Amino acid sequence: MNASSTIQASGAHLIAPPSKKNITGANVALAAILVAAGAFLPLALSDTFYLTLLVNGVVLGIAALAIGFLAHQCGLIMFGAAGFAGGSSYLFAIAVNQFGWQLMAASAFAVAAATGLSFLVGMLVVRTRPLPFAMMTLALAQMLKEVVSITEARPVTGGDDGLNLSFTGTFFGLTQAELSSPVTFWPVAWLALCGVLCVAWAVDRSRTGTVLRMIKANEERMRFSGFDTYWPRVWAFSLAGLMAAISGLLVGLNAAFVSPELLDFATGGMALVSMLIGGASTVLGPVVGALLYVIGQDQFGTSGHLELLTGVAVVVVIMGFPDGVFGTIRKTLIRTRRREQDQKGEHAAR
Amino acid sequence: MDFSHLLNPAQLANALALASLLTILSSGLALIFGLRDVMNFAHGALYMLGAYMGYTVANHLNFWSALVIVPLLLAVFGAVLEYGVLRPLQRRSHMDVALITFGYALIIGQGITLLWGTQPMSVSAPAALASSFDLFGDPYPAYRAFLIVVGFGACSLLAAWLKWTRSGMHVRAVSQQPMVSRMMGVNTDRLSLLVVCLGAAFAGLAGVLAGPYLSIDPGMGPSILISCMIVVIVGGLGSIGGAIAAAVVYGFIQVFGTMVSPTLAVLAPYLLLFFVLLWRPQGFGRGRVA
Repeated sequence: MNASSTIQASGAHLIAPPSKKNITGANVALAAILVAAGAFLPLALSDTFYLTLLVNGVVLGIAALAIGFLAHQCGLIMFGAAGFAGGSSYLFAIAVNQFGWQLMAASAFAVAAATGLSFLVGMLVVRTRPLPFAMMTLALAQMLKEVVSITEARPVTGGDDGLNLSFTGTFFGLTQAELSSPVTFWPVAWLALCGVLCVAWAVDRSRTGTVLRMIKANEERMRFSGFDTYWPRVWAFSLAGLMAAISGLLVGLNAAFVSPELLDFATGGMALVSMLIGGASTVLGPVVGALLYVIGQDQFGTSGHLELLTGVAVVVVIMGFPDGVFGTIRKTLIRTRRREQDQKGEHAAR
Repeated sequence: MDFSHLLNPAQLANALALASLLTILSSGLALIFGLRDVMNFAHGALYMLGAYMGYTVANHLNFWSALVIVPLLLAVFGAVLEYGVLRPLQRRSHMDVALITFGYALIIGQGITLLWGTQPMSVSAPAALASSFDLFGDPYPAYRAFLIVVGFGACSLLAAWLKWTRSGMHVRAVSQQPMVSRMMGVNTDRLSLLVVCLGAAFAGLAGVLAGPYLSIDPGMGPSILISCMIVVIVGGLGSIGGAIAAAVVYGFIQVFGTMVSPTLAVLAPYLLLFFVLLWRPQGFGRGRVA
């Protein structure tokens, strides 16, 4: 920023285009190979138990990523991510059971409608400050849960019992039996995760991402500098809603069953806790957090101490590692690398 | 539809009973928020802890001693919350601190199921209040009337403290302008200790009072927390008067809505929240703690 910037009507041109330093052909090729290789993981990992664990971790990770994305880009914590994730599961279930739609049509409908809902909700809630925002999204999820549990809605939503789904048609060539098996479902979950990660990365590095983070830092100053501070946040919110909807759709596809628990605060809390443990400051953090959470769930779920430990983990991580587990590891790595470079530089100087 | 049955005194009293419980909880939540700018997600868990402790104390001694002992014990919990979380972390982002209280809510909730189990429990009302009395021709449980009196009595005392005492004035000052009040020599930390203990004690009081009125189960904390948050937001963040007004409105909507249409009653609080935030984002109250 220089002095002349205050004269300009809009500071929009002052934002430097994001650096494309790391986007080299080699890196892109490497990433593409990793994505492709990841899809064939079931060939290497024959144990369906661990594969199920991984699938759950990935599905939870996508929801956690949605929360982390919004937390990092906008500073808004979405307590009610379950509203959009579970909402999408329910829309999918209703499209399959009530409308009798084919799988692909029902999936597209569920994601589109849940994203549309998040767009409408976003238009209302992004104006509020972070705390009322958190609570309004929480209230929305809770409201949806009450709606699907209403006795009058029982023929459509199945009430408290939930809905069992029987699919017609295929999802990218996968039948119901194949979707419920972790071995054949894994590529779907994996590719969805990679897609969502790519989108989050792209937005993070884009000019929109920069604008969003600047609005997070000082909304008023951005507005005075001639930026629109409203629509970017609505779009970011809708994008987070889309990610949550994808996660919810995967739950519906894999389990072929929906129940009001999907919309429960506790379910949204799982994704939130994953995001907190992994840390929102990196794109991968929430996904790592979700994997850790799923492992913890497997280890401690049976003893009933899971909530206790997640509670302790949340407190310890936020108090001690504000960047989350993954963020802290990354920071330490960067610091040690810099120190090594400094030492090398000193040697060269001598 | 015949609406004449809606406007009878018993239903009015039911609405007030629910409202008084919400008022006690929300005013504590609003106080802590006013002073520390932190939404205490552990408030529902503290309330639940109060209810379970009340159950144990009422079984060993009696209900009246529970009504005194439990708020005191909860005040100790409040002191722990203040010294352990709010004070060391006051320079951190308020959202971080709120999330830590969320972690504590998980810990307390699980601790309760470990100690008391997951079975729903019930506390019987003390003998003096077990009967019902004649309320304009209808029999009405005496305990609920007691609940209304204690709930609104406690809140009136709180409001009087805030309005007419020096420390109450300091609380109002800090809630509105923390920096300026500190410069004027108000000891924010000491005040915050007082307020957080008071808020936790109020949560304990609400828990004990809820025992004979509602059932005690591990889901009671999270469910009432959401109601309280709606009340606090609708009432205007940090405003005690607004919170009381909003709690009464909430109670009436719940009770009368259930009679008109259970479907609507379920949605009404959320619709209320959305409408208030769109129409009047600052809530019912004027300014902060008042």
